[in-house]
Amino acid sequence: MTVKRYFLGIDVGSTASKCVIIDEDKRIAASVVIPVGTGTTGPARAFAAACEEAGIREEDLACITATGYGRNTFEKADRTVSELSAHALGVHTLYPEAKTVIDIGGQDAKAIRIGSNGRLENFIMNDKCAAGTGRFLEVMARILERDVSELGTMDKEAEGTVAVSSTCTVFAESEVISQLARGVDIKSLVRGIDESVAVRTAGLVKRLGVIDPVIMTGGVAANAGVVSALEYELGTEITVSSIAQQNGAFGAAVYGLQKTVR
Amino acid sequence: MEEKKPAKIVLRDLQDKIAEDVWEAKRRGEKIGWCASNFPQEITTAMDIKVAYPENMGAAIGAKGGGRRMCEEAEAMGYSNDICSYARMNLAYAAHDDCPEIQIPRPDFLLCCNNICGCMMKWYENLALELDIPLFMIDIPHLTEEVCDTDRIAYIRAQFDDCIAGLEKLTGKKMDWDKFREVMEVSQRSSKAWLRAMDAMKNTPSPFSGFDTFNNMAVACVGRGTEDAAEAFELLADEYEALAAEGKSTFKGEEKYRILFEGIACWANLKFTYKALQSRGINLTSTIYGPAFSFLYQNMDELMAAYAYVPNSYCFEKEVQLRVDSAIRNKVDGAVMHINRSCKRWSGNTYEMERQLREKAGIPTMTFDGDQSDPRVFSEAQYDTRVQALTEIMEANRQSRKEESHA
Amino acid sequence: MRDVKEILKDLTWIADNPRACLDEVLAEGKKAVGVMPYYAPEELVYAAGMVPFGLWGADMAVSASRQYFPAFYCGIVHTILELGLTGKLSGLSAVMIPLTCDSLKGMGANWKYGVKTIPIIDVPYAQNRKIEAGKAFTTAKYREILEKLESISGKKATDEDILAAIRLFNENRAACLEFVRLAPKHTDVISALARSRVLKSRTFGDRARHTALVRELNEALAALPECTKGVPVVTTGILADSSELMNILDENGYVIAADQVAYESVELRYPVPEVPADPVSGFAVRLAETEGTSVLYDPGKKRAADLKDLAKEAGAAGVIWVGTKFCDPEEFDYVPVKKVLEEADIPLLTLEVDRQMVNFEQIRTAAEAFKDAVQ
Repeated sequence: MTVKRYFLGIDVGSTASKCVIIDEDKRIAASVVIPVGTGTTGPARAFAAACEEAGIREEDLACITATGYGRNTFEKADRTVSELSAHALGVHTLYPEAKTVIDIGGQDAKAIRIGSNGRLENFIMNDKCAAGTGRFLEVMARILERDVSELGTMDKEAEGTVAVSSTCTVFAESEVISQLARGVDIKSLVRGIDESVAVRTAGLVKRLGVIDPVIMTGGVAANAGVVSALEYELGTEITVSSIAQQNGAFGAAVYGLQKTVR
Repeated sequence: MEEKKPAKIVLRDLQDKIAEDVWEAKRRGEKIGWCASNFPQEITTAMDIKVAYPENMGAAIGAKGGGRRMCEEAEAMGYSNDICSYARMNLAYAAHDDCPEIQIPRPDFLLCCNNICGCMMKWYENLALELDIPLFMIDIPHLTEEVCDTDRIAYIRAQFDDCIAGLEKLTGKKMDWDKFREVMEVSQRSSKAWLRAMDAMKNTPSPFSGFDTFNNMAVACVGRGTEDAAEAFELLADEYEALAAEGKSTFKGEEKYRILFEGIACWANLKFTYKALQSRGINLTSTIYGPAFSFLYQNMDELMAAYAYVPNSYCFEKEVQLRVDSAIRNKVDGAVMHINRSCKRWSGNTYEMERQLREKAGIPTMTFDGDQSDPRVFSEAQYDTRVQALTEIMEANRQSRKEESHA
Repeated sequence: MRDVKEILKDLTWIADNPRACLDEVLAEGKKAVGVMPYYAPEELVYAAGMVPFGLWGADMAVSASRQYFPAFYCGIVHTILELGLTGKLSGLSAVMIPLTCDSLKGMGANWKYGVKTIPIIDVPYAQNRKIEAGKAFTTAKYREILEKLESISGKKATDEDILAAIRLFNENRAACLEFVRLAPKHTDVISALARSRVLKSRTFGDRARHTALVRELNEALAALPECTKGVPVVTTGILADSSELMNILDENGYVIAADQVAYESVELRYPVPEVPADPVSGFAVRLAETEGTSVLYDPGKKRAADLKDLAKEAGAAGVIWVGTKFCDPEEFDYVPVKKVLEEADIPLLTLEVDRQMVNFEQIRTAAEAFKDAVQ
């Protein structure tokens, strides 16, 4: 008799599909990111790629848990969990001491309080009109004709800051365009963009209350500029999760494991 | 013999009748008005003056899917999308006299009361100009203390008198003060019955789906001064109490969790906001429309004060206390809080309200972006994710309480 | 006699260094009370032996205030609260919050639980301001405010103190109005930016000192030959103190011939009458008489007609609507104002400014285009 002993978590986001497979000891057997999200072939591709990477078949999966905005459209899922709980659980599993999670994804920025046993205790998410998300950075990167992954390095090399402080993405967009027209230093502009994301996110975290240790997850965590601006705004150290972008998927897999084993 | 109608139907019919009475009066050649929902209904009811309610119309347009079109019409006139969507839609309607979802007769005068927000005053200023008709405004200065003082009462009373004199002159109808006292009494009956009905939410399960409150409150707000309304609310309260006594509920499915809903309903997204909760076994068992739309008074002075004790006019501490008390009495597991893009008055303290609710009622909360009638503000995915996360917290809280009680 | 430049330097310094002005006041051993918009009875602060300190926010980015107000609230309330939350207003003995608009009604609780160390004095008043009952209500509430102020300062204000304060502030209003009249006749020395600084500086520090400076400035101006070069315009709105915006007006050769701005002439145009028998009642009369503002009940939209008259009298080439982003009272007024100006064939430039705005390119483009259109 074969014992099914793998657990798959898939985070069907707005701009990317992330898939993680773990074993019963919560060891990661596969971890995949496909840069297209809900409503595309992304989720299916991420799922197939993860199975291949882990060297297992679908039948070997004891539980498939979907999270993220597209969680209800992923048909293979046995369970769904909100990305808030998934992030809390994912971070708690890797960083048991963590109390606060900051996650900046494609559409949303979240501040999450982790309670005992990795439970989601409380959360605050962004207003629709408060720009401060991954999508905002992507829009800005496109205007600057750069890849979003370059922004972190450019920020580090900046000598100054060109402030970007409009309330909405649309306004910020025209603001950045006119700064470019004035010929400002692009690197300083990038820092301004990063700081504007950090200031908005810091507002959320303060509404929740900052309790150390603080862990950051989500695609934007890869941007060192945003992270250091956020550290400055909050006056505390932030640890970037080792699986920042896949943390939601990882947490979903852990959730499936907990529910199934129970 | 005619079969007894359920209270829900009686109330709906009553609302239709209130609306039809205005058309009827208009056809008879009487002067009719447009009226703010929190304008003292005692005046119009006692004087037998018929009025239509643009706010109710706004809710209806939103619910029937016309919100976006009407808002865009107003924006084309130059109104910012920052302005309250009820105001935007009504100003568009006043200018174009065209709305397939619902019609109200053209007014001969306007009755404004700014206790719920200052926006109301600006809206009616613009209406008076657009329609070129008289405007009567009763100003209820925002209350920052718990008790309405005698200066406020005297000021409000003087405005009552001015307004009544103005209406007498304009409509040719005389105020009958005996009738006024009768209306006060009947309103008390309605208010007490409304409170009794709302109080039934404290039962487990609550005997009704809390979203029904959003529909029933219209009559509680604007029509409570009539015998018909008093009877309808007494019927409603009796029905709820009878259901509660049998442990039954009109809520569809098992009531697993109970929440406080903060803010005006998202009329344009009512079904979605309801379904996301109901499908997870979440019933609404606490809303400020319960305790706050009661208008209890014994005499004229208390009547004046009652209009300062309405949500958004009241001092913040009292607003918090009303919610915390209701949350505890009605045993809620969490709160869903609407950051209403339309309502600067309501949303300006919601974050602080959220902090205090978490602390004082010990419940998890979530906020979401929405609007009372403009569907462009609401996001289904955002709302659903947050409801699910809140549900997960409520589930975990219950689990840990169970574990504690077993330990 | 000092020349215009030197006097302007003093006034501009005050306008640009409010914190230093506050520290000056505190160093003299006086107490200061913050005064938020609109039309608050500052004179009572003075009568009670303290110094009123204008709180209209600042052009800056916000962070802490986002924990209290959602993003769609105006930069005025956001930045006032931000200044309070970040300790920039420490030293104030209280803040006065007029309950004029819905956003300010939300300020009280946010301030109370956010700032904590600086107490609040709510300023209620009657919107039905022209009827006797309305005036009586406002007067009664202002008496209570005076008592609160007296308990903070520890000094009783006699009727004579109140009347003296009223006189002092009215003199300041008169001097500022005279400056407003002179400024467009001396466009070679008074830029739009300088004009805004002169008017703004009255809200910080000692009012008598300000009056003396403005009178000195007026005298210096009167002694100069006239220069009216430029495109005369009338501004209208809540405030127009953004230096970026003023620079754009100056670059394009606009001259502010008159204004209907709450922070500027609207407040100046209506002095508080001296009522010896009941000095506090004068404030209610002033509120009843004030016109040209979106935050006081204005059933006939006199604001629109007044603006039209103002533009005609000033011989303005057009009107500039200086919109404050997220200010709904202004946004309601915009439609009827636009209509009245259109009917009177007065060109209108619509701008929207926010305290958090750092880039004004769109405004620059619009200002350039408008100038071409009206010339």
